[in-house]
Amino acid sequence: MDGEGQRAAASWENGTLAPVDRLRSERADSPTPGLVEGTEPGAGQKSAMFVHAQSFEDLTAEAEEEARRETELDKSGECADDLKALEEQHSNDVSSEARTKEEDVSSEAWRSHRKHVFVLSEAGKPIYTRYGTEEALSSTMGVMMALVSFVEAEKNIIRSIHADGCKVVFLTKSPLVLVGVSRTCQSDKELLRELQYIYYQIVSLLTLTQLNHIFQHKQNYDLRRLLAGSEYLTDNLLHRLDRDPGLLLSAVTCLPLPSSSRDVVSSSLQAAKSKSLVFSILLAGDRLVTLVRKKDQFLHHIDLHLVFNLVGSSSSFREGEGWTPICLPKFNTAGFFHAHISYLEPASELCLILVSTDREDFFNMSDCKKRFLERLSKRTAYTALKEALKCPSYSVAQVGIPELRHFLYKSKSSGLYTSPEFPEVYQSDEEQERLMGLYQDLHSCLHHPTRPLRSFYRCSESENLLAWVTSGFELYLCFSPLGTKALAVSAVTKLLKWIRKEEDRLFILSPLTY
Amino acid sequence: MSAMRVDAKVVMLGKESVGKTSLVERYVHHRFLVGPYQNTIGAAFVAKPIQVGDKVITLGIWDTAGSERYEAMSRIYYRGARAAIVCYDLTDSSSFQRARFWVKELQNCEEHCKIYLCGTKNDMIEADRSLRQIDYHDAQDFAEEIGAQHFETSSKSGNNVDELFHKVAEDYNNNAFQYMTAEDTGVDLGQKKDSYFYSCCHN
Repeated sequence: MDGEGQRAAASWENGTLAPVDRLRSERADSPTPGLVEGTEPGAGQKSAMFVHAQSFEDLTAEAEEEARRETELDKSGECADDLKALEEQHSNDVSSEARTKEEDVSSEAWRSHRKHVFVLSEAGKPIYTRYGTEEALSSTMGVMMALVSFVEAEKNIIRSIHADGCKVVFLTKSPLVLVGVSRTCQSDKELLRELQYIYYQIVSLLTLTQLNHIFQHKQNYDLRRLLAGSEYLTDNLLHRLDRDPGLLLSAVTCLPLPSSSRDVVSSSLQAAKSKSLVFSILLAGDRLVTLVRKKDQFLHHIDLHLVFNLVGSSSSFREGEGWTPICLPKFNTAGFFHAHISYLEPASELCLILVSTDREDFFNMSDCKKRFLERLSKRTAYTALKEALKCPSYSVAQVGIPELRHFLYKSKSSGLYTSPEFPEVYQSDEEQERLMGLYQDLHSCLHHPTRPLRSFYRCSESENLLAWVTSGFELYLCFSPLGTKALAVSAVTKLLKWIRKEEDRLFILSPLTY
Repeated sequence: MSAMRVDAKVVMLGKESVGKTSLVERYVHHRFLVGPYQNTIGAAFVAKPIQVGDKVITLGIWDTAGSERYEAMSRIYYRGARAAIVCYDLTDSSSFQRARFWVKELQNCEEHCKIYLCGTKNDMIEADRSLRQIDYHDAQDFAEEIGAQHFETSSKSGNNVDELFHKVAEDYNNNAFQYMTAEDTGVDLGQKKDSYFYSCCHN
């Protein structure tokens, strides 16, 4: 094992990223990180919990394929005029019916939002807008649809319009069209990825089958009727996309918990099984405590984020036990699962989600929850779990690298990431969003569709950043502006050692199946 | 909570935002939550024991989402229900139309389900009478026509809420015996066998 460790260390120091021949089971005890997928810190010991996907690519692969098929379309000149027309449309569009709480879509404030998202049907009917009311925007959305159809008529696909510091990105997912208008410096690819999420959010409420069925029968159907009351889910998801590193990294973070306690929680959940049960998920706020799945059935991180969003956005599961149909679009866009959602205790942060295939199975699921809770509450692990809830995160100071302010570390094979709490300098919402923006930038550089980077160091006035991607992990570090490049590089080794040391607590290393 | 034996299944039906969740919240937790409106997702189940005379009856209350999106699912919630509390908002006439829809649905699919027609947000009417859009007598007439009980409640003040659920439990208690015997004969194996042969011979 020592030899193995040295070999890994050597390859790390040489900077060679050639895969080291090693089986996943021969996991190194050495704290030096393996650079091979499956041996990096945080990699699961037996099997992954999630669909093993090159997750980010997974989301954008379709769009890229299209890009390959389609010749690049440079319509910026022509489209700038269209955009102007679109903007004029805004200013003329004065709705007398605008609800008092809603924003006036003709106002400067409405226009200056950083990121707009619109969803419309292929008939040009408004379905969702992030700001303002859909009614007030019906002519604007009509113009958007006209742009899509105009380009389509020439057997082309409109992808984006760049004009005046503003990006307009189009995503056609029949029967829906999604449009993002952004003033941020995010790439088209990033914006498309966000639109994809919104699309999946809508599918998770209705299923694609139902969506297709509706529009086949009535092209100008007003989908808002069916989505009534779900707007806040989409609003929240957009908010998460700006703030949550998990959505950026296509990964999920865990509640730090000693592995002995986590294993007891997992096995208690494993014991509370039922024929129709596919996934049992225990959450603490936005953090995963454990996930038990049916053998051979994998949950996709996008689906899990949709579940997180559903649970996190609503207080409606606080009382009693929730029972709701939910489509997990990455699993299957055609049908509904049925989720039993309840908190373990009334004021607790611990939320249990039992995903079943049978809509009649509520009482069975309810019984599973009861059995799980009975079993768990007899163990000391439950006390440890409740204790762990008090400090759901950790300080970056624990790592012991003075200039390191913050980091994101994702283990690719497990689809899990870890990150410390935001330090003092990033306490305000604006600062946190700014830092997330910087990470997003690095992320899009590393995952550039034609020229991806392995590592990237960037100095700026307020911080220095380093990003590193290998076949095993992705790492984003934020240092104080006084740090140096050499220091940053040495910090990586030190941090990876620390993560290796703490991986039992920070990750779920032994996921279970029923 | 669900570990409790449930005697009577009670389902809350009605247009979205009429206040079904608030009604359950008031009855089960004796409180009224002020804050932005949050729609129910799918449905929520809560079991609540209630004292009727010298007996304790556990109501299994299904608080369903009013959104049209879940309409296709609604049948699993009202199937086998002993009571349905069909809610409408006293200040919103369209919600009464929706209540009529639910009544019709129940009459067609669940004949054993007793219907309780419930006008909500009575406190708003008391504060400003001009807000009333559903006349008390119109609703009363409709209730009589369909053989339902009629209540006007306020989850904010708690007015009439306990009375409503108490009536549900009481009616269940009074009718349980008759219903059970009817059910028993229905699943009597001997009889079923006979009728099976009977129908056989006549075919």
